Amino acid sequence: MQNSDKGLRDQVRQGWVSNGDAEPSFETTWQAAQQRHAAGRQHYRRFAGAAAVVAAVVIAMYAQPPAGETYIEVADLLESTYWTAPSDALLPDRQFDIYQDMPVIFESTKPAGGALL
Amino acid sequence: MRDSDALDNNPHISRSALEAIHSQVYGWAFSRCDFDHATAEDLMQQAYVELLSGNARFDNKSTLRTFVFSVVQNLARSRFRRVSSRLRLVKKYHRESTVEHVETTEPPADDGVWRAVRALPARQRDIIELVFCRELTIEQASAVMGVTTGTGRVHYDRAKKALRERLQDWAEEE
Repeated sequence: MQNSDKGLRDQVRQGWVSNGDAEPSFETTWQAAQQRHAAGRQHYRRFAGAAAVVAAVVIAMYAQPPAGETYIEVADLLESTYWTAPSDALLPDRQFDIYQDMPVIFESTKPAGGALL
Repeated sequence: MRDSDALDNNPHISRSALEAIHSQVYGWAFSRCDFDHATAEDLMQQAYVELLSGNARFDNKSTLRTFVFSVVQNLARSRFRRVSSRLRLVKKYHRESTVEHVETTEPPADDGVWRAVRALPARQRDIIELVFCRELTIEQASAVMGVTTGTGRVHYDRAKKALRERLQDWAEEE
């Protein structure tokens, strides 16, 4: 069994494809790998730098502490607005002062259709 | 112990040790890429980048050769997965696409043994290559393939049996 294994192994080895002449030297492959590694690190650094800048901007924008409590001055508020009586708005062409000029209230005892006029 | 030319991110690996096994690792990468030199070279560079960056960290639990073979195997697998998923996407959307065709170098030796090995299922072919041609033990070969030693043995025995039968058949035909 051992002998037959060895025979098979020898046969396979003989028939196996060699790496051929195109095999790159270790030096060439190693240098190319080092360049790729360095380029990868540079890319990572750039990405990390950009991410850090974005993070700093976001923090500066949203995490800024309040400048201090501010109060509204009543006088300022009054100057910025005005109040009008609803009657003024609803009756712009008012004909009498409801408090000064009492209108004549019609009095009638004449019924019309079952109701007083 | 740290060698003078040890890698910064992989202190148990030295440049000279990698240089010593470069040819064997290239042979393994070459067969992983269906014998395409350009792809094999790219795969080798990628494997070295993984070692340089420390993404693949060697901790002396196996031999360096077994470890680097595993790195190459995993990289080749993930590359194959990426290509397969792209092909699946192309099929899914029925897009006419010019799929990059990789010219593969035909193996120079094309005798019966070679054909018989190529006809084996992938795992059997891998273990035969690792044990017969790369001189790994079955345990080491199983580790490279990511299977248990028991499974490795089963693949190995089946591969030998299938090879013998095919070689015998062809010998009788001739």
